[in-house]
Formats: sequence, C-alpha cells, structure tokens
Amino acid sequence: MSAERYNRQIILKGFGEEAQQQLLRAKVLVIGAGGLGCPALQYLAAAGIGHIGIVDDDTISLSNLHRQILFSTADIGKLKVEVAAKRLQEMNTQIGIIRHPIRLQKNNILDILSRYDYILDGTDNFESRYLINDACALLNKPLIFAAVSGFEGQLAIFNAPDHLTPSTNYRDLFPIAPDKGEVANCAENGVLGVLPGILGTMAAAETIKLIAGIGQPLTNKILSYNLLTQEQYTINISHGGGYTLPKTVDEFLNMDYQDTSEGPQGYIEIDASELVKLQQQESTILIDVRERHEVPVLDKQIFTQVPMSEFGAFMSKEFYQKHVVLICQHGIRSVAAAEAMQEKYGDAKKIYSLKGGIVKWRDHFLRP
Amino acid sequence: MKIEMISFGKIAEFINNQKIDVDGIADTDAFKQYLENQFPALKSMKYKLALNKNIIQENTEITNNATIAIMPPFSGG
Repeated sequence: MSAERYNRQIILKGFGEEAQQQLLRAKVLVIGAGGLGCPALQYLAAAGIGHIGIVDDDTISLSNLHRQILFSTADIGKLKVEVAAKRLQEMNTQIGIIRHPIRLQKNNILDILSRYDYILDGTDNFESRYLINDACALLNKPLIFAAVSGFEGQLAIFNAPDHLTPSTNYRDLFPIAPDKGEVANCAENGVLGVLPGILGTMAAAETIKLIAGIGQPLTNKILSYNLLTQEQYTINISHGGGYTLPKTVDEFLNMDYQDTSEGPQGYIEIDASELVKLQQQESTILIDVRERHEVPVLDKQIFTQVPMSEFGAFMSKEFYQKHVVLICQHGIRSVAAAEAMQEKYGDAKKIYSLKGGIVKWRDHFLRP
Repeated sequence: MKIEMISFGKIAEFINNQKIDVDGIADTDAFKQYLENQFPALKSMKYKLALNKNIIQENTEITNNATIAIMPPFSGG
C-alpha cells in the first residue's frame, strides 16, 4: 500500500493507519452502476477499498449522463461495468475491481454476495431491492441502502447489529413491495442528477464508517434527505412483524420477487419511457407486428414492419440486433410475438413487448 | 391533542407538513384512521409511521405535542 496516496485520511485524527488497513482488507459489492453507484464507486475506490465488485447488466445511454458521472458521451452503448471498472482502475491502480456484467436473480445472487463483506444497494427498482435485502439477511451481510424519489433520498444500513438493537432489515420498514406502478421509478419520474450524487456519496461514507468502525453509522436508522430544503430527518428502526424472510436457501429460491426477467414468460413488458430508453441503445430493433393496412402508420425508418401473418418467415432468418421490441395496436399480438421470439432465442436476445400498444402511448408515436 | 405531521416523498405532494389540534386521537391506530379519512389517497399506498423518530411497529399511545412522520418507500437510483 502506498501510504502517500492515502496520506490525508491516514493523518486524520480518529482514522489513521489501522482504519486504512481495514479499508484495504474490505470487499465491497456495489449493485447498480447508475446515479447512486457511480459516485459511491468513485469514493470507495479513491479511499482504498481493497476489493470492489460492480454489478450491472445495462449499457450506457445518453439520458444516463446527467447523473452517472463515471461515463462520457463516447461511452454510449458500452457496458456500464466495463467503463466504470476501467475508469476506477485508472484512478486507483492499487485496488482490485471485479466486473459482474449480469442481472442479479434468485439463482445467482447468493453466490455473488457471498464473495463480499459489505453490500451497497444502488439499484432503481423494488424487485431488486427486496431480492438484495432478503439475500443479505440470509447471508448475514451488512447492507448499505440508498434510494431517491423526486428531490428526496433515503439512506440506511440494514442487517448490521448495534449495541442496542439486533439487526433490522428493509422489511421492518416496508414488509412487502408496492404493486408495480404504485411508486414510479427514475425513468418515469425524473431526477436532478446531483441528488443521487449526494445520496451515493453518503452511502460511500456510511460504508467507510462501518468498515473503519468510526462515528455512528446509520445502523438500524433511516435518514431522509431533502435536497430542496437541505433538511435531514433520522428515524430509529425496530424489529417489526408481518413479513416472511427466507431462512434457508430453499425458502429463498421459492420466494416471488416479481422478477420479469426470470418469470415464466421470459420476455419483458415495457412502457413508453422504457421504449425511448431502448431506442437510444445500440443493437435494438423495433418491430411493428400489425398488418400493413393498419393505422396510424409509423415511421418505417424507425419501426421495421413485420406483420404477424409474415412473422414465421421473418423468424426463419437471422438478424444481429440483441434487443427486440415488439409493438402492435393494443399490446396483445406483440405479446404473442414476444413469446414466439423468446422460445426461439431464449437468453440470446432480450425481448420486449410494449404494454398497451400504440393506442395507449398514442402521444409518443404521434409526436411530430 | 397537538400533533406535528412530517411527510416525505410522494406523500408530501398531498400532505403538507403541519401542526394539527384534534381530539380523540389517543394512539397511532386512531391517527392512521384519521389520516386515511382525511387523505384517502393514502389507503392505496405503502407507508410507515414514526412517532417521535421511532418507527411504529404496533399500536402506540400518542402524547401531546408528538411528532409523527409519514414515510413511503423509495426505489429510485
């Protein structure tokens, strides 16, 4: 270890050489290299966390750049973990960065989490958050949780006991996940880039405090942060009931996390905002499966016309695009097309169907 | 009975931070019922109450000048 690199924190009263060694020995997994994950990763890497894992299966799109500050315009279309790992390794050559370009699911999460000491959840959806919470509880891994909504953020440390209370988990706050659509995510809701920047940085600070054993980490507490007022409000969490936490691997594997990507259907139903995101992504083909006479007529430069009556013939040919978005009038035929595609390609391609179809998202399609 | 209400996230869009002076709210169950009557949108949402900065896990007595926080889950990143 180069003491000079970390000199300014080693000479800090209440930190010192011993704390620096603890950072160096720590293995931290950051899940989601997005608005929260990017700043968290930057500070964890700079501070000298010895082993940092990054999980993300997504590629960089233009609308990420205002808040995902590890990425530049030239990186659009590249895998987030690849770009993030390269940038972080250039910044700190003395640490190990491990890439996990996958989506965490029931069948892979326990294996990956078990390789790390601390888990930082910077994901953007409830399915992942409950999956990660339950996996951390099962494996007894401290979980640093950060999330944003509008101009506000939440920050907490779960699954780490303190001297007063046995460890609590996310389900002690919210026993079951909201229904899909009950709470919008960033893609639907908008977010000022600096907000996840602040929360992600605070999550990195909590991780460092927890590892180094300094200060009072937010163990068994949840902090609410308001960007517009700069107010913070901290609430003590106690153990609650009314929920089921899987106690064994078998119980965990039998839980329902509403994970569309591993559900029986395989394909993913999306809304118009996700369609926009996919349109900006490389290697995406948008397919209109309506018959040729149907209206409104979509721009044929953007939407490839493959009517259902010709779909079998289309499927017999190969095409290179990795993401396939299927669109029809009401989102019913596109589901049938998605099922057929899923059956043929399995995991080789990602298949999407626009839920509700053109009728539901008329404004999106008829925008000048 | 004076109660200070603090709300967060989506809930703050329809419940402003405010001090209320109401009779007949002796405990957190009664407060929850009062809230959902006043703000029916809450009924279809997931949220958690905290009384004087402690999460409410079971019905708890409310004393005068209590502060109750109303918090929804966030998932964005």
